[in-house]
Amino acid sequence: MSRSRRDFLRSMTAGALALGAGQYLHLPGVAAAPLARRDPKFREWGSEAIKTARRLGCSYCDIRFTRNRNQAVVVRNGQLGSGGFQSYGGFGGGDGAIVETYGFGVRVLHGGVWGFASSPIVTPDEITRVVGRAADVAKASAVAKKFDVTLAPVPAYDDVWQTPIERDPFEVPLEEKIAMLAEVSLALKKNPGVLFGSAQAGFKHEWKFLATSEGSFIEQDLRYATCRCSATARHQGQVKTRTYSPSSASRGYEFVVNARLADHAERVAAEAVEHAMAKPVGSGLKDLVLLPSHLQLTIHEIIAHPTELDRVVGYEANYAGTSFITLKDVGRLKYGSPLFNVVADRTYPGAMATVGYDDDGVKSQKWQIVKDGILVGLQTNRETAHYMGETESRGCTFANHWRNFPFLRMPNVQLEPGPPGSPTLEQMIGSVKDGVLVDGTGSFSIDQQRYNGQFGGDAFWEIRNGKVTRMVTDFTYNAITTDFWANLEAVGPPEAWEHHGMDGDAKGQPVQSNWPSHGSSPCLVRRVMVGTAFA
Amino acid sequence: MSYSREEVKAITDKVIDMAKADAVEVEFSGGERAATRWANSSITANLIEHDQEVQITVRYGQKSATTETHQFDDASLKSAIEQAQELAKRKPDNPEMMPLVKPPQDYVPVEAALPSAVDFGPAERAMMVKKSIEICEKKGVLAAGYIPKLHWTSAVANSEGLFAYFRYAEASFILTCRTPDGTGSGWAGTTGIKNVSSIDAAALTDVASEKALRSQKPRAIEPGNYTVILEPRAAARYLSLAMPSFNARAAEEGRNFMAGKERGQTRLGEKVFGENVTIRSEIGHPVLRQTPVGQDGLAARPVTWVEKGVVRNLYYDRFWAQKQGKTPTATSPNMSLSMEGGTATVADMIKATRRGLLVTFMWYIRPVEMMTLLYTGMTRDGLFLIENGEIAGPVQNFRWNETPAVSFNNITMLGRPEPIHTGEAYDNPGTAMVPAMRIDDFTMTSISPAV
Repeated sequence: MSRSRRDFLRSMTAGALALGAGQYLHLPGVAAAPLARRDPKFREWGSEAIKTARRLGCSYCDIRFTRNRNQAVVVRNGQLGSGGFQSYGGFGGGDGAIVETYGFGVRVLHGGVWGFASSPIVTPDEITRVVGRAADVAKASAVAKKFDVTLAPVPAYDDVWQTPIERDPFEVPLEEKIAMLAEVSLALKKNPGVLFGSAQAGFKHEWKFLATSEGSFIEQDLRYATCRCSATARHQGQVKTRTYSPSSASRGYEFVVNARLADHAERVAAEAVEHAMAKPVGSGLKDLVLLPSHLQLTIHEIIAHPTELDRVVGYEANYAGTSFITLKDVGRLKYGSPLFNVVADRTYPGAMATVGYDDDGVKSQKWQIVKDGILVGLQTNRETAHYMGETESRGCTFANHWRNFPFLRMPNVQLEPGPPGSPTLEQMIGSVKDGVLVDGTGSFSIDQQRYNGQFGGDAFWEIRNGKVTRMVTDFTYNAITTDFWANLEAVGPPEAWEHHGMDGDAKGQPVQSNWPSHGSSPCLVRRVMVGTAFA
Repeated sequence: MSYSREEVKAITDKVIDMAKADAVEVEFSGGERAATRWANSSITANLIEHDQEVQITVRYGQKSATTETHQFDDASLKSAIEQAQELAKRKPDNPEMMPLVKPPQDYVPVEAALPSAVDFGPAERAMMVKKSIEICEKKGVLAAGYIPKLHWTSAVANSEGLFAYFRYAEASFILTCRTPDGTGSGWAGTTGIKNVSSIDAAALTDVASEKALRSQKPRAIEPGNYTVILEPRAAARYLSLAMPSFNARAAEEGRNFMAGKERGQTRLGEKVFGENVTIRSEIGHPVLRQTPVGQDGLAARPVTWVEKGVVRNLYYDRFWAQKQGKTPTATSPNMSLSMEGGTATVADMIKATRRGLLVTFMWYIRPVEMMTLLYTGMTRDGLFLIENGEIAGPVQNFRWNETPAVSFNNITMLGRPEPIHTGEAYDNPGTAMVPAMRIDDFTMTSISPAV
């Protein structure tokens, strides 16, 4: 769970508990059998779709049936959100409505080219029509191909996987959610310096059944939850919002309960007011002590994205961009200091990209991206593995909706903790003469090859001569990727490691949102350029 | 997949008839989203997505709830309506809920579904890609591009008898060319085109490939303040940064750039930008052909947001307008957006510039501080140094930190407006009429070797 600034400023002792390691829950036969186990039609329709594709000359076919339910509840100053309130991540509109969608997508290979079509009309006739349409699209595309799509082999699986949850959010009455969030928002508003107190929670439930021409029938039932609270204050024209968020997780309603938003309301409100009154940090080279709540976005932008193999080989050149990494860099590139270790992990319990199988039907796994500061691995899927000479996919194919084409999306990418006995947060702060302590996420921007990033945050405190002195504002830092990680001087110990999940990550054309997690321990990075955005 | 007015009205009428509530509102959307994508000079994805949905809002007094369904059979509609009915009764009153908009509404007639875009299929798109790739091969560059197509219908209906229907079809052609050694990259594109026959893919390919070749091996120059010439795509992204601040409620609540000195005051009537900045929403614009259906089904009307630098209108939603005793603004600031231009060409601007930068494209723009409209972003896909009225050569990309609040006072030349998308991606409507702009004192804060 995320920890608060108050916790560490007061106690200066142990860090927050890392979520327990261990195996993800793998349930070949579950008590309440999921939909396709109860209703054989999906397997029959999937098999028929594959037969139809084969008759049409397709060398590969998959069909993915998906049903989604989303709900977001936003309460501002005690009032439930409605039109005019900000949409909340990918969870919904904020007024408590349960948004459902159901349909299927068909992907085929014909003549070495992809074709894809989708529909919300889930009937045998429509499936046959849509398979034909996907095949027609692939055939039409062959005039503009220069190479054939090559898929890494994958075993056939017949399996069910479910996110383990304690309480189903969709069984929790709306009144209970509104009451809990209203209490938090009004507690935030108690501070007379606060203009708006807002509390939010969101829930997703995705069921999907994948049938592939490789022989797989995979059913998955996935759950996600998120929550946060924030206060907005204004002082002499300066408006600041302070947020507490445990981020997002693949958990049930227990995630929101355990976040204990109300316990943070008084502190969040006070810090919003303090931030609105804070003085600028100034500019220059400073040491940064970065909390896991902040590092999630830095990890996302300058580790996770540049190590996507489809970007490395040019697939995203027209939109999300390519990468500063080349294929020759694997095993050679010095990405950061020897303390810098990164894993990709689609098995971590509670993480946002944790599933049983990807949308190619490849089993989830964990592998090393950076070892002792050296780049050793990349994110791959069946389509791209061959570019780096690998014969198996790492399982990174994903589509966020039945309507959309599946392609390479990042898994959970986690910065590993330092070994036991590594510097604590307090020891890191104690070693800094002139620096800034950074909590939460804020402004972020990064070039199309991921060399040059600029990051803000949610709250910032000046560190002088080993002590946290005062809140500051107008903070951004400029991270030149490999220089930044080369200056990584301390990574906190295992007991300080925190999971943080994201609910938005845009890539692809048409754009799709992904939801990975990026955990870490607190880190100390020396000599980073600060404040040029405001200079 | 096409939905006629009659088909849509049959669905919305059915929902309104089935619902048992004080009032009912139905929003329909549906159609085809198709796309062709290529990279390394070969098609990588080609797809046709069909989707349809109705959003159903039922009201009991000041309580309301919304559900949606993508299935239109009676059982699915009934289930969605019953869910909304049950949910609405359990919700607290919404003091901001406004009465339904009543007919008649006088919508500006807009013909936006022309056959050339409606019929633009995967084979036609693939042929366009093939021809573009052939040009790229002759020039020795690699092509990565995207042709999105939308054929979409939206409608709003309610139990007061309102029915507003809009159908459109549009396509774009967006291309990035890269040199095989990865040291040069160039962009060109056109977006939101209703008459597909006007897309000149060959000419755009020439532009992107030439930019890629000319941008090879850029040299690093010092960050600092530069005169910049923003080509239309870069200018459109930059223009979009100013528009959210026209929200009257946020301004009067003291939380955006248009807020006045005291809470409750705004900058309406103040001259905030230069004399040459005029920004309008032109409903019925002959090129844009965008929707005439505004907030909650109100008929959108032309709005002048900024005239010769002076803020002329802010956007009032219906609740805030009533609370403040104002007329609601049916037109939101992103509808049919059009910035007045000048007569200069980009070549004229280059000739008139002693030292500056030609900017093709801006990327990954994010807010840094919203009260001052301070944003950061990168240049990309063709950045060139101008010296003494000529292109002196390619330079490495810059990170910038700048605000339209300053730079829209520093515009020194404007080109002729052209249709170009204002958003980061191209998947939804967002094309505006935007001119190239020459802006003095634009703040570049660091460099990047990214190509």
